[in-house]
Amino acid sequence: MNRLAALAALLCAALPAAPRALTAEEVKKVVATLDDRQRNSGDWKALCYMEAKEKGKTDVVYELLVYRRDEEDKQMFLFTKPKSEAGKGYLRLEKNLWMYDPATGRWERRTERERIGGTDTRRGDLDESRLAEEFDAKWIGEERLGAYAVDHLRLTVKPGVDVAFPVVELWVDKATLNELKRQEFALSGRLMRTAYYPRWRKVYSPSKKGEVWYPEEMRFFDEIEKGNSTLILIKEIDLRPLEANLFTKAWLEAKSR
Amino acid sequence: MLLTDVQIAARNLTRHTRRNLFLGGALATVTALLVLLGALTAGMEASMMESALTLLTGHVNVGGFFKVTSGSAAPLVSDYPRLLALVRERVPEVDYVTWRGRGWAKAVSESSSMDLVLAGVDVGNEPSFRRTLRITEGRLDDLAQPGTVLLFQGQADRLKVRVGDVVTISAPTARGVNNTADLRVVAIARNVGLLSAFSAFVQADAVRTLYGLNASTTGAIHVYLKDPAAAPAVALRLRQEIAKAGWRVMEPDAQPYWMKLMVKVPSEDWTGQKIDVTTADDEMGQFKQFIRALQGVTWVLTVVLMLVVIIGILNTLAIAIRERTREIGTLRAIGMQRRKVLWLFVLETTLLGLSGTAAGAAVAAAVAGLLNARGIAVPEAVQFFLSQETLHFLLEPGAIAAKVLLLAGVTVLAALYPARRAARLKPITAMHQIG
Repeated sequence: MNRLAALAALLCAALPAAPRALTAEEVKKVVATLDDRQRNSGDWKALCYMEAKEKGKTDVVYELLVYRRDEEDKQMFLFTKPKSEAGKGYLRLEKNLWMYDPATGRWERRTERERIGGTDTRRGDLDESRLAEEFDAKWIGEERLGAYAVDHLRLTVKPGVDVAFPVVELWVDKATLNELKRQEFALSGRLMRTAYYPRWRKVYSPSKKGEVWYPEEMRFFDEIEKGNSTLILIKEIDLRPLEANLFTKAWLEAKSR
Repeated sequence: MLLTDVQIAARNLTRHTRRNLFLGGALATVTALLVLLGALTAGMEASMMESALTLLTGHVNVGGFFKVTSGSAAPLVSDYPRLLALVRERVPEVDYVTWRGRGWAKAVSESSSMDLVLAGVDVGNEPSFRRTLRITEGRLDDLAQPGTVLLFQGQADRLKVRVGDVVTISAPTARGVNNTADLRVVAIARNVGLLSAFSAFVQADAVRTLYGLNASTTGAIHVYLKDPAAAPAVALRLRQEIAKAGWRVMEPDAQPYWMKLMVKVPSEDWTGQKIDVTTADDEMGQFKQFIRALQGVTWVLTVVLMLVVIIGILNTLAIAIRERTREIGTLRAIGMQRRKVLWLFVLETTLLGLSGTAAGAAVAAAVAGLLNARGIAVPEAVQFFLSQETLHFLLEPGAIAAKVLLLAGVTVLAALYPARRAARLKPITAMHQIG
């Protein structure tokens, strides 16, 4: 009998422990941490490269400057390459996203679903993370993503919030709390886009007085038009304060003159 | 006496089976062809009007244009509640009234795009929707939610979207700035004719947001009447009343609003608001013209076919009289009056005409019913001309009876001349004739 009890105890110890479900509070904390790690609070300037692959077309590489003033929720993109796109830009002011085309000299108001430069990138991909503010999160389970143990979360947009995709699933590295994979869905349940974040970097932010994490590389795969994808590389981050009048239509227009 | 005459005429018909079957068959074929053509035209017109009255127009419309500059135009009616009150007060014939925003936008989904004519609706204020729209996916009531759109099946297929997916619509505002909005598909309805290929319903505020309009602005007030035939009189009265109330009213012009918007209004030298009162026939002007042209072609065809019938009857009866000369001579010799001979020949032709045309109409009705039941899809290239996606024949008993009577009447008239010739034969001549 004693032997049997000992064997049972040994077996229990040898079996992998069943993953413990995260409580609602813990899920909230994970999402808040994701946001907090990427929050800068001050100004942000980055040089980005976007490589867009479209089925049946030649790959195009774009170079653009991304400007952010997170405290005022302002954001601006200025395309610098290729030559045909140089001067084109996006400006986000008071929740409105404006696109400027220097070829026509006109501004057009666009939505959160806008494909930046016609690629698979959305504005939110280059903004600071606001998951806790925009979504309600639920724990789906613990999974393995390659060599990583991850928490699989499902986020549903809060009422009245405008986002590119209303339902998002995240795979978050349990060890580092880095987001490794993301899938975005329409309300119909249709998978729209899959994203991978294979490389995360951190920089010191004087305004935050701490570290700011950012995905140095992002890969977006269009799930509707299979074969289309976009790679984004974020380089040369500068967190010093930007000019006060930078986030204006006039500034962006002047860049193409 | 009449019954006896009918019996004699019927017997005579059955005695010359082959010839009469040939003539009756020709009459039946012509009748069937005409009935089918008429039913197809009527089906097209009915589909078009059903589609138009659901999607585009009321029996009478109080729309208008607002011009910021003389070279631009937007299909807007500002301060519409005041206009709506006037319409309700001055049109007692009204069944119900709706008001819809008007717009045109490019709709972009994740995989495709297309141009759409937008109608901004308050779904709770659209009593005809529940009657005419057949929702295949989603819920009509969800169209009351902000930022939503109802698409028709063809549009959903083309954009490759389903309920819950989002389409982005993009359109220039009255001041020329392009604006966009994301709309969630909440319902997909079965197509209602050709117009549903490019017309979609959007929640009213979504259209206002897209164009930057305030809550008291709409596209048009659609007035649905208890008696649609009263539309021209109601339109005339409304035009006068609206002008009397101080609005600037446009001169009557039987063109759809979008044609005025594209061509006429931007070229006019005025700014501000003008009201335009139209009827469903005005809004459907070009389609109606096409239907009228088709009806004209049908009538030309009818006349040609009738000529063929007349020649056929003249010829066949001439042969019949020649064959029956001795019979006529005998009848005359035993005392039958000329009038009676004429009467018998006319009666024979009447019976032949009526039975032939009735048989033709019956065959046409059966064929039309069968084709309707099969729901045969019209090729996309032909849909524009037929105003239908599936072949639909509208069988109107009155129209069919009129065609039967017309063709039978023509047959009888065509028979008069040979019958008179038969009646004029002298008995002695007729009896000597070797047939």
